[in-house]
Amino acid sequence: MFIKSAGITDVGLKRDGNEDSFSVDDSLGLYIVADGMGGHLAGEVASRISVDVISKSFRKWIEEDAGEDEIYGGADKALSKEGNYILGGIRLANKVVYELALEQKEYQGMGTTVVVLLVTPSMTIAANVGDSRIYLVRDGELERLSKDHTIVAEQVELGMMTEEEALTSSMKHILTRNLGSSEYVEPEVFEIEPSNDDCFILCSDGLTDLVNNDEILEMVQNADDPENLCRDFIRTVLGRGAHDNTTVVSVFLSSLKKQKQGMLMKTGCLVSDIIIGVQKTGKKVIPFK
Amino acid sequence: MARLILMFNNQVVKEYPLKKESITIGRNEDNTITVDNLAVSGYHARIDAAGKDYILTDLQSTNGTFVNDKKVISHKLLHGDNVIVGKHRLLFVGDGQKAEVKTASAGKIDMDKTMMLDTAKQKELLAKQSGVAAKAAAAAAQSIGVVSFIEGADLGEIELTKKLTKIGKANTSEIRLSGLFMPSTAATISRRPSGYVITSMGGKLKVNGEVIKDSIQLNEFDTIEIGKVKFQFYQKKAAK
Repeated sequence: MFIKSAGITDVGLKRDGNEDSFSVDDSLGLYIVADGMGGHLAGEVASRISVDVISKSFRKWIEEDAGEDEIYGGADKALSKEGNYILGGIRLANKVVYELALEQKEYQGMGTTVVVLLVTPSMTIAANVGDSRIYLVRDGELERLSKDHTIVAEQVELGMMTEEEALTSSMKHILTRNLGSSEYVEPEVFEIEPSNDDCFILCSDGLTDLVNNDEILEMVQNADDPENLCRDFIRTVLGRGAHDNTTVVSVFLSSLKKQKQGMLMKTGCLVSDIIIGVQKTGKKVIPFK
Repeated sequence: MARLILMFNNQVVKEYPLKKESITIGRNEDNTITVDNLAVSGYHARIDAAGKDYILTDLQSTNGTFVNDKKVISHKLLHGDNVIVGKHRLLFVGDGQKAEVKTASAGKIDMDKTMMLDTAKQKELLAKQSGVAAKAAAAAAQSIGVVSFIEGADLGEIELTKKLTKIGKANTSEIRLSGLFMPSTAATISRRPSGYVITSMGGKLKVNGEVIKDSIQLNEFDTIEIGKVKFQFYQKKAAK
């Protein structure tokens, strides 16, 4: 499996500070974007801590091959081992941010969204809390692998509002779940089969407020490289006023398995599962020029 | 431009950009911001622009003007200040600023900025909506996919308790199928934001008689064939 990835965050044109955080880790296949809120740097603290807690706990549990009983908040039987590590990591991050916000006055009211993507040769896992998103582009189609935790999204799900009404609703930024505002949080976790040439976009709402699904699909399809794609997204957002911080992480998979079928190819599959090619790209914040 | 967001019961009533040098707040209709409530005086308070700042002055109102829960006579407004007149709240948002929202304090709302809704407020808001629809949707969210075997395998009904169900010959498959030409993983069914999706992983997959090479959304009572095995998909209410 070959992974190419990149991530960029940009403060935008209206905000004083950047409260988004992200992490790109090709060795683990783990990608995280968090959009903090709370002002006066507190949002940045919430998003940074969450990204750190989730990636560090995931690495630790993978290395230790942690068992079900070690999953923070209890294992979910519907999920794989890795899915449970992500679930536990998000719950743990929530607890840390929540307690810090309680203890320290300057952090009162801080919170953050988070989206987490894990890619492995056998499974793709997408998890989220809040309204940051993960998109999958496969076979020329865009599919969302996250579920918005907003009043508007819930009303759409309940059939009280149409998708079109939701786009223009004044309440579209009101979250019903985030990390940091209550003691417990339940993330959304999805596990899907991986496929050759899957492309993923993780982003904060700075992108999705200004770039619609069709445009995202078109830009992904025209992109040759994750870093250029991230730059294209940021350029587009800046050209449209960039009222919010924007973070985009893109992940391109290839050579997932040599061939899916054929009895004789079976051993070949195994070998390609084991040989995981890793190509590293930008791990740090790439300043946009 | 600086603005005031008028709120009642923690809900936004209206937003007023501070366009003029001087504005008034009160019950009478000739105020810039009319607050139709008996707790508000006819001419309750005034806000004057002074350079870059805005000065709030109480117009000797009966019930007083409060900023961040302190009674004031005159006060230089700072970004994020909550001005209370009667039972209404006016959130002051400074020029070029975004309102910050603390879930603990009631409703500072800026619709451009992401904010967290606390559960009490959410319940209040949702209670306003149709309770029946909410319950129906809640029930749908708790439903679980089931596959019911018709031909080729004697497996009865299997609930799709995993987010990702692998179907095939491999020991690790959630649904194990045998047969000479059955691949180790023939297909997978995943529960996604859009619902249940079946994906061909190398087996001969048909849904409602049509050959599926990649993925397709599963609908109630779709018939699925993998090689000689035939089963049907439906959803039922989850046990919990």
